[in-house]
Amino acid sequence: MSRPGAPWFTILPAAVAAVAPAPGAATVYLSIEAAQRAMFPGASFVARPVAFTAEQRKAIARASGVGGFDKLLRAWDVRSGGERAGWFIVDRVLGKHEMITYAVALSPDGVVKRVEILEYRETYGGEIRNPAWRQQFVGKRFGSGVHLGKDIKNISGATLSSRHVTDGIRRLLVTYQLLLSNA
Amino acid sequence: MLKRCRPLLGTFVEISADREDAIDAAFEAIAQVHRLMSAHEPGSDVSRINRLAHQRPVEVDDWTARVLERALYWATQSGGAFDPVRAGKGALARGAIPRHRDQPQPEASHWTWLELQGRSAQLLKPGCIDLGGIAKGFAIDRAIEALHRDGCAQGLVNAGGDMRGFGAHSAPVTVVEPRQRRPLAVVDLLNSALATSGGLPDDQGRLTFEHLGGTNPRWSSVTVVAATACDADALTKILWAAGEDAGRLLDAAGAKALAINHDGEVEAVFEVAEEHA
Repeated sequence: MSRPGAPWFTILPAAVAAVAPAPGAATVYLSIEAAQRAMFPGASFVARPVAFTAEQRKAIARASGVGGFDKLLRAWDVRSGGERAGWFIVDRVLGKHEMITYAVALSPDGVVKRVEILEYRETYGGEIRNPAWRQQFVGKRFGSGVHLGKDIKNISGATLSSRHVTDGIRRLLVTYQLLLSNA
Repeated sequence: MLKRCRPLLGTFVEISADREDAIDAAFEAIAQVHRLMSAHEPGSDVSRINRLAHQRPVEVDDWTARVLERALYWATQSGGAFDPVRAGKGALARGAIPRHRDQPQPEASHWTWLELQGRSAQLLKPGCIDLGGIAKGFAIDRAIEALHRDGCAQGLVNAGGDMRGFGAHSAPVTVVEPRQRRPLAVVDLLNSALATSGGLPDDQGRLTFEHLGGTNPRWSSVTVVAATACDADALTKILWAAGEDAGRLLDAAGAKALAINHDGEVEAVFEVAEEHA
C-alpha cells in the first residue's frame, strides 16, 4: 500500500505526549434549537421545565437506579397541528472522562424516538469529581458562558462507553412516567 | 462539514459529512446493525442464533450473513486467533453479554461448530456467538456506503475510536495510550479505515484485557489501518492474539499496523517486512 520506508504515521514528541489534551476541550454538535428542528420538523415547542422536589428526586433515583442528576428537568411539550407531537428533553450526564449534554425525543406515549448528543466535553485529572468544577455548571443553561475549548481530534485507542447516557435515558423515562405522562 | 453524534453500538458514534439527510441515513444503517447483531436484544439475529441455532438452522438478515461469513473467513485464515464462538463463550462467562431465558449454556468453544449456508446459520452443539469484534467495523462500512449513496463528497464515521473516512482530504487521527489517554501518534486517514484494540482502564485506573481474551506479552494496544473498517476491526483482534504471526494476514489484506508497548512507546509492527516488500 505505502512505499517501502514511507512513514504512514507520526510519533508525537515526548513533550506533546506528556500533556493530555486541554481540560474542557469540547465538541458542540447541535444547539438545543437545531436539535428541536431536526427531531420534530415544523413543530412548536412549549417550555415545560420541572423543578424536582427532594421527594421526586428520591423517587426517580430509586425507580431508575440512577442518582446524581440536575435539579431542573429541561422539558418541552412539542405541539403540531393543535396536538401533542411528543416531548423534547435535554439532560446532562457525567462520565469518568466526560460531561455529555444530550437531547431525547419522546413520542406522545413516551417511547424514545431519537437521541442526539448536543455537546461532548472532555475532562481530565478527576476535575469532574471536584465540587468546585461541577459548581460552575449549576444553574447554567446550555451554551451560556461555558467556555469551549478547541475541537477534540478524532481519537483512537480509548473506547468510551455510552453507558452513562443509557442510564440517563432510563432515568428520563422514569421521570416521564412519574411527572409528564399525565401532564 | 456537519458533525453529529449519537449513542449506538455501546459507544458514541460520530458522523461528519456535508448533508444532514445523508447523516441521518448513515445513522440509520448503524442502528440497523445494532438491532440485528446486539447480543443484548433477545430478538436480534445474534440472540436468535444463540438461543435456537443448536436445534435448527436460523434464517438471518443478509447483513448478518455477511458479517458471519467474514467472521468465519477471518477465523479460518487466522487459525482461530479470531473466533466469534470462543469470544461469545468468554463474553457470556464474564457477564459482558446476557444469557436469554431460553438460551442454553454454551458447550462449543471453537468457531468450527458454527456453520453458515447462505443466510442460514447453525450451531452443531449449543454455543454462543459474539460479533462484537467485527460488527462495529461492518456498521461503519455500511454508514460510509450510505454517505456515498447520498452523494457526499467527503465523510468520516467514528464509532468509539474505530473509524473510516473518504474524500479528497485526509482526517488526522490521534492514537492515544489506553490508560491515561496521552496522545502518542498521529495517522492521516485518507480513504481508509482504522481500528484500535487495547486495554480498558478499570475504576482503579488499571488496564483490563478480558474483552480481548487476555493480555499480550508486548503490547497494551494495537492499531490497524485497512481498506474496510470490518477488516481493520477483525485484524486488531488477530494481531492482539497472534502477534507477529499475523503479519502474513495483514500483508494479504494490504493492511498496516502500529502498537503501543507496555513502556508506552509506539512501535511500527512488521516495519522490516514492509521494507522488504
